[in-house]
Amino acid sequence: MKTKVVTTRPLMVLALGALALSGCAPQVTRIAPEQAIDLSGRWNDVDSRMVADAMIEQSFVSNWVSDHMRSHGGEAPTVIVGTVRNRSMEHIPVETFVRDLERAYVNSGAVQVVSSGAERDELRAERLDQQEFASTGTRAQLGMEHGASYMLQGEIQSIEDREGRRRVVFYQVDLSLVDLESNQRVWVGQHKIKKYVENPRIRF
Amino acid sequence: MFVDDRRAASSVRVTNQFTVMATTRRTATALFTGTVLLSGCGPTLVPVMENGQVLPDRTSAVVTQAGADVQLERSRLADERSLTGATALATCTPDLCDAIARGEIAIGMTEAQVMAATRTTGDAWDVRDSSGMTTMTARSGLAAPGDAVGEVAFVSLQNGRVSAYTYREPQGYRTVTSPVDATLAGQAAARADALVREGDEFAAAGRLDLALDRYDRADVIRPGDPETTLRIASTLDKQLRPFEAIMRYQLFIHQMELEKIEARGEVAARIAEAIARARERVLILEQR
Repeated sequence: MKTKVVTTRPLMVLALGALALSGCAPQVTRIAPEQAIDLSGRWNDVDSRMVADAMIEQSFVSNWVSDHMRSHGGEAPTVIVGTVRNRSMEHIPVETFVRDLERAYVNSGAVQVVSSGAERDELRAERLDQQEFASTGTRAQLGMEHGASYMLQGEIQSIEDREGRRRVVFYQVDLSLVDLESNQRVWVGQHKIKKYVENPRIRF
Repeated sequence: MFVDDRRAASSVRVTNQFTVMATTRRTATALFTGTVLLSGCGPTLVPVMENGQVLPDRTSAVVTQAGADVQLERSRLADERSLTGATALATCTPDLCDAIARGEIAIGMTEAQVMAATRTTGDAWDVRDSSGMTTMTARSGLAAPGDAVGEVAFVSLQNGRVSAYTYREPQGYRTVTSPVDATLAGQAAARADALVREGDEFAAAGRLDLALDRYDRADVIRPGDPETTLRIASTLDKQLRPFEAIMRYQLFIHQMELEKIEARGEVAARIAEAIARARERVLILEQR
């Protein structure tokens, strides 16, 4: 009888330990990037995608590309990405939807996009480096950059209304393409997102 | 007596229990009613997307369609440009062919040659004919076309040949009516004139700093022009900068002496008057 007690006790401890440890392990499930999952109600990938989709649609529906082509003998307009300011209270990575728009422009062949900011500095440094170290035939020439005709600028603004555990967040994203010579806005895109967030009564 | 007291106490306890139960029930009912009422006050939500929903790909079709449309439009414009280019080159003189190759409009070009030089098609222009005079302007709502020199505001053709064309420049409109106007010297003279005009307007408005800036720029583009030098001298004089003003007055006198030798009659008299005025200012400023 005494021997039986001795053999079952470690087994029980082991089983309990395994159960406790299995509860601590993270659960990771790969899901499709297209699936909309909202956890906290803050800005997330779904919002970014909705903005990108809306902006791409609005940009291509507008006539600014064909107008430019007609006044420039069929030449595609060239766009440089300027600053998209985040004027909301949240951290919003604007690059995600701006890159989506850039990709749509380039892949459609309708709009040319030139590098801006840090990318351009890196390219210029490399080009200068080539003047000294690359062979004559393979050297990238200076002063041959493609000048942009339009700059993409924009901003994100948000309004929040909160009462108890309920919250309404409104985001407005405005993007515009501005003619670099005349400062005229040739295209203005806008997308609005409104969310109603209700937190649970009890949180652990 | 003791028994009666116990009964009474028991009766009170029962009554209290009933009262508590009734109160609890009332409170619960009130709470429930309140919750129902409050829930009625909240917004009616109309969700546009469910959590966990898979979003459809909306943009691929749009991008593909836009690409196809642009390709079609580009082909059409390229065909039109080829046709215009062939027509333009078939009839051009060597000078005009060179201008087309450089991408510059020139006096004597035809409508097709203007389009070839500006790398545009008929889509970019509004063409109006009126008794042998044709005017080409940028099509309404579209950006103005341009050649290698700048943005072209309008082109005038007489009997099918360019007689004048006008550029839109930072200093205003500049019209070319002869081949000399199109040379670098001609361009510089026109721009300097425009800057001097702008400077005069600022001077009249009392903005001497901006006036001086425009005169200085005109002086760089067209150096040695006595009229610009005199304006600079006068502006410096008005700005109470006597040393610089004296230098400019003296430079003006020197430039005018050279011109006086070449000038005759009334022009010479005007020059002499200007010289006398400048000398007087130099004397006054030096005495200070």
